[in-house]
Amino acid sequence: MTELSGRPLAIASPSNKPTLYGWLFDAYPSGTGMAVWLIDADGQAHMFHDDFTPVFYVRGPRQDLHDLCQMLRARREPVELDRTERIDLFLDHPVEVLRVGVRSPGLLPRLFRQVADFNPYLTYYDADIPLPQRYVLTRQVFPLAHCAVEHEAGQIRHIQALDTPWEIDYRLPPLRVMAMRLGGELRNPARGHRGDLLVQVEGEEYPFKREHSREMVLGIRHLLERHDPDVLVTAYGDSYLLPRLLELARHYGISLPLNRDPDQAIAHKPARSYFSYGRIVFSDEQHLLFGRWHVDRQNAFLGDDYGLDGALEIARLSGLPVQTVARVSTGTGISAMQVSTAWRRGVLVPWQKRQPESLKTGLDLLAADKGGLVYAPLMGLHEHVAELDFTAMYPSIMVHFNLSPETVGAKCCEGVPVPELGTPVCNHRQGLVPETLAPLLEKRNQYKARIRELPEDDPRKEIFRRRYSAHKWLLVTCFGYLGYKNARFGRIEAHEAVTAYGREVLLRAKELVEARGFRVLHLYVDGLWIDKPGASQRPNYEALLDEIRAQTGLQIGLEGVYRWLAFLPSRVEARVPVANRYFGTFEDGSTKVRGIEARRHDTPNFVRETQLGMLAILAEGQGVAGFRAAVPAAIEYAARQLHRLRSGQVPVRELLVTHRLSRQPDEYIARTVAARVALELTQAGVSLSPGEKLRFLLVPGPEKARAWELIQGEIPYDRQAYLQLFIRAIESLLAPVGVDQSTLETWLLGQTSYWGPVGVLPPPGTDGRWPMLANARPVGAEHSLLATSAFREIQRECFALTRQAA
Amino acid sequence: MGRTLPSITQTFLQEQQSLARFRRALRLDDQRALDDLLAASRHHLAEAAYASHLLPFEIMLLAMLVEEHKQVLRLREELETLRWDARSLSTSSPRPASGGQTGRGQEHSKP
Repeated sequence: MTELSGRPLAIASPSNKPTLYGWLFDAYPSGTGMAVWLIDADGQAHMFHDDFTPVFYVRGPRQDLHDLCQMLRARREPVELDRTERIDLFLDHPVEVLRVGVRSPGLLPRLFRQVADFNPYLTYYDADIPLPQRYVLTRQVFPLAHCAVEHEAGQIRHIQALDTPWEIDYRLPPLRVMAMRLGGELRNPARGHRGDLLVQVEGEEYPFKREHSREMVLGIRHLLERHDPDVLVTAYGDSYLLPRLLELARHYGISLPLNRDPDQAIAHKPARSYFSYGRIVFSDEQHLLFGRWHVDRQNAFLGDDYGLDGALEIARLSGLPVQTVARVSTGTGISAMQVSTAWRRGVLVPWQKRQPESLKTGLDLLAADKGGLVYAPLMGLHEHVAELDFTAMYPSIMVHFNLSPETVGAKCCEGVPVPELGTPVCNHRQGLVPETLAPLLEKRNQYKARIRELPEDDPRKEIFRRRYSAHKWLLVTCFGYLGYKNARFGRIEAHEAVTAYGREVLLRAKELVEARGFRVLHLYVDGLWIDKPGASQRPNYEALLDEIRAQTGLQIGLEGVYRWLAFLPSRVEARVPVANRYFGTFEDGSTKVRGIEARRHDTPNFVRETQLGMLAILAEGQGVAGFRAAVPAAIEYAARQLHRLRSGQVPVRELLVTHRLSRQPDEYIARTVAARVALELTQAGVSLSPGEKLRFLLVPGPEKARAWELIQGEIPYDRQAYLQLFIRAIESLLAPVGVDQSTLETWLLGQTSYWGPVGVLPPPGTDGRWPMLANARPVGAEHSLLATSAFREIQRECFALTRQAA
Repeated sequence: MGRTLPSITQTFLQEQQSLARFRRALRLDDQRALDDLLAASRHHLAEAAYASHLLPFEIMLLAMLVEEHKQVLRLREELETLRWDARSLSTSSPRPASGGQTGRGQEHSKP
């Protein structure tokens, strides 16, 4: 059977061939087609073969296409060549193309490289869609679809999905999981950590001594054969466990059936470092299995956030294999979903992007080259603040206003002008991106509703939460991909149109909020923080939310009403607030924290724990006065934690600092702490790449820091360095009530210039920048408010009036 | 990220940098006042970005004026409050003041 993009597979007639019902588990190229694995309701795995000819298309001058055909025929490549017509998304009309069908799917990547090298100036389509995705698109199935398969002598005759990717409460196959990790603390074995191998399968744990490696390999082979697991979940399996086991198996001449398909070798992808959003990211090497999944929890993208449930959901939606989804960013998922939409429409998928930015005047650029609105909040501590958030604002804008690379700036109709920019947006055909996102938004809303309805003890609740979280990540990345220079369906004008609508919608909401007498404390891209005397309950906001929904056409929700909320100043310039540094407590007692130490990845656990512990105490305060009243208790807690820190009682693993390597270890010029740790690891024989994370302990003495993987047991830590981090974290929490570093040192370290009982704040209303104003002596206060001419003026006038009154 | 033009924060920092010599020459007290003004204009960077003005420094000046005027209004209000407090002190005293009230004060005394 041949791949026909966008067309359903024609089946001649219903037959009486045996039919198997099961879930589509794996598909990969094998010989003249694909090897397809299904798992039935009893958990039994079945492998079939399905003949399959993937196709790519070439467009260009007739002579060039003719030369290409000659070249392929001369090399006797297994290809089918013919001319046909297909639709190009941006041209919106059929174009004549050369269709190249490859009879052995596994040869397609190599063959396409030959073709592209032969003539790089031709336009190529459908060339780099992953083969498993092509297969499921062609057969109109999807990973983990519940399928009916008619088969004959191991060959698939017909495969049909019995459910859709848009089901909410779908059934998954019963999967047997085998877990593998090294004993002891979870440390990267590639950096020297060693331990016994622990294998868990069907409720039993099997430890294998590291010094008996032959028994280890034999034992694992036995377990694999006896339990035949569907999924191998490992910790550091990609970078250490699997390569090491394979090496040992080779050494002892023992066959180790990690793959279920004995004819395939384990696929290995090397590690790489790349730039993403201004920082360097490290992606470790990969070991992928056939007929079985290998998921490495330490090499999974956002694995903790949405877990395997979320990864399965993304695989179902995107058509990408589960092992791929578990290792790539959600951007790849959303990109694959767009490819699927194009495929279903019968539109060609470009190999390389051909949509350069259109020519703009300087003024146009000035108007368009902007992001979302990020205000400077009103600094300080506020009470009864409501946070309103637009639900999935950017994706909703794309769907609601039909923003897609081919609709923005289209000349097919008059269109609707984008606010600020005036670029017309086609309104007579749905764009590819909105078509992809609309059902996803809908599904996400359904999960949201189900999560709300289900009781806490329902096991589905957590699964739905994870799927909901996976949707969130897919939607978050879809906006970036619209403007990403390498995205297939990216176009900067569409990206700019989204942010222009975003600004318009937020300002419209601001105007509505202000018209109803609320004060706007902060605006941040898709969120508003507002307050009004007397509005401290959810019902006070219902009418306002309805009005915003009606006026903007987008969904907006009340994130919550804060008992109190603090917007923090910049650390560099205390007079200037920072947009995303805030924390607060909602009416239900839950807290929200952004931009402070507890949210940072490099903060040691101990400091995070202290900050969150203090926050929990402050959260008891009902308003600003309550917050102030809770400060002494919070300081008391901090003092207890400080005692643990200063007396050396904190365990090493609670004090680890995390740092991401930004360059090769030998490229560091300054001897920063991270550079020292990188050097220490390199000297211990560990090879490091940019983007890899280092975890280390700050230690006293000239070495300053030690890599965690090289530390044995508990060793002394640099108390002074941790003290600084500790004080800094507390300062972030108490800065809104005017407590600065020196006050904290007075309170916690008992230094001189003690000015009042520990934790007791100056009277309310005292300027936060001069917290001790009330107790300040006039001498030496010449730079304070007391000395300003305006203040003296007021004082003079007050005295005059008082005298007059007297 | 991926932008052609410098962000509004970068623009602000460039403008601030261009004032470095002016700032250096100012007396210490005046330097502090200038820093206050610049910090005030930083409160309105989002609005300045949205304005897409060709000369961002003009918007920065306006932002300073907005903050200064807010300060004036706040002080005026505070002054009124103090006046009002002082006046109520005088009216509640056993010896009522004679003809000491201004027109504005009478406005305040209206219900």
